[in-house]
Amino acid sequence: MLVDFEVIKRAQGGDALAFNEIVLAYRKRILGTITRLIARQEDVEDVAQEVFLRLYFSLDQLRTAEVFEPWLYRLTVNAAYDYLRKQRRRQEYRMSDLSEQQVLMADAAAGGKVEHDEQQQKKVREAVDSLLGSVSEADRILLMLKEVEGLSLKELEKIYKVNENALKVRLFRARQRVLRAFGASGKQEVTG
Amino acid sequence: MYPTHRSDDERLDALFRAYRTACPDRDPSTNFMPELWQRIEARQTFTFSFRRMANAFVTAGLALTVMLGVYMALPQKSSYYPVSYLQALADTNSPETPDIVGPVGLDFTDPGR
Repeated sequence: MLVDFEVIKRAQGGDALAFNEIVLAYRKRILGTITRLIARQEDVEDVAQEVFLRLYFSLDQLRTAEVFEPWLYRLTVNAAYDYLRKQRRRQEYRMSDLSEQQVLMADAAAGGKVEHDEQQQKKVREAVDSLLGSVSEADRILLMLKEVEGLSLKELEKIYKVNENALKVRLFRARQRVLRAFGASGKQEVTG
Repeated sequence: MYPTHRSDDERLDALFRAYRTACPDRDPSTNFMPELWQRIEARQTFTFSFRRMANAFVTAGLALTVMLGVYMALPQKSSYYPVSYLQALADTNSPETPDIVGPVGLDFTDPGR
């Protein structure tokens, strides 16, 4: 935990400074997670503010310290999911775009080493966003939390409030779909 | 996992790792906190107004209910007769009551003659 439970308790009592402390402690991490979840940079702060807004108005429901972080993740996932539902981002990530992007990536890899670092990162982002377009928004977020955020199944269990086996099955199916899309896209080397 | 997908699995894991590196945690803009508090205050104002409006409706509803209750409890003149129709008719046409329904005999003779 990045803050003491005492701080959370004070925030629950309406202490604005304590709430500020929570936001300052977690905003960077939440912004990073949202950046990876929604892939649209200009809206990241807006979604992050929505997360903390929801946190502010639901903080009094929190009873124990150990569920705070999964709970914050849950708010983040829900806010990202709501955002994606509104934006219908999936329409923009058609599989037809994938091959082209990966060809560009291969070209970038063949080009100069120095200048392509930033470009390469951009391509990686685009490639992963495109690949994850082959699964539903819910599975996309689940895969992202597991594979990119590095959350354990136990943590995901707390966030999604479903049992581990159900999560494993869902993750396996989602990963298989992504793997099929990955294989179909020509199996270009991405990471250089 | 399928054995045939082993290399794809590894590639995909590498891609996810690269993605994590390509999208590091980021610092917020300077407006992040002020905007957040603006949103919180706006939501609070809305919630407060809504709560006040809801309270006003509930109070008005309760007052109306009490008023209706009092009105219904008060004894009042009613068109409802607690007797049967025949009894009411008999009371109306009692022997003391002149029969206004029967033919009226008109006497045209001059009473002074």
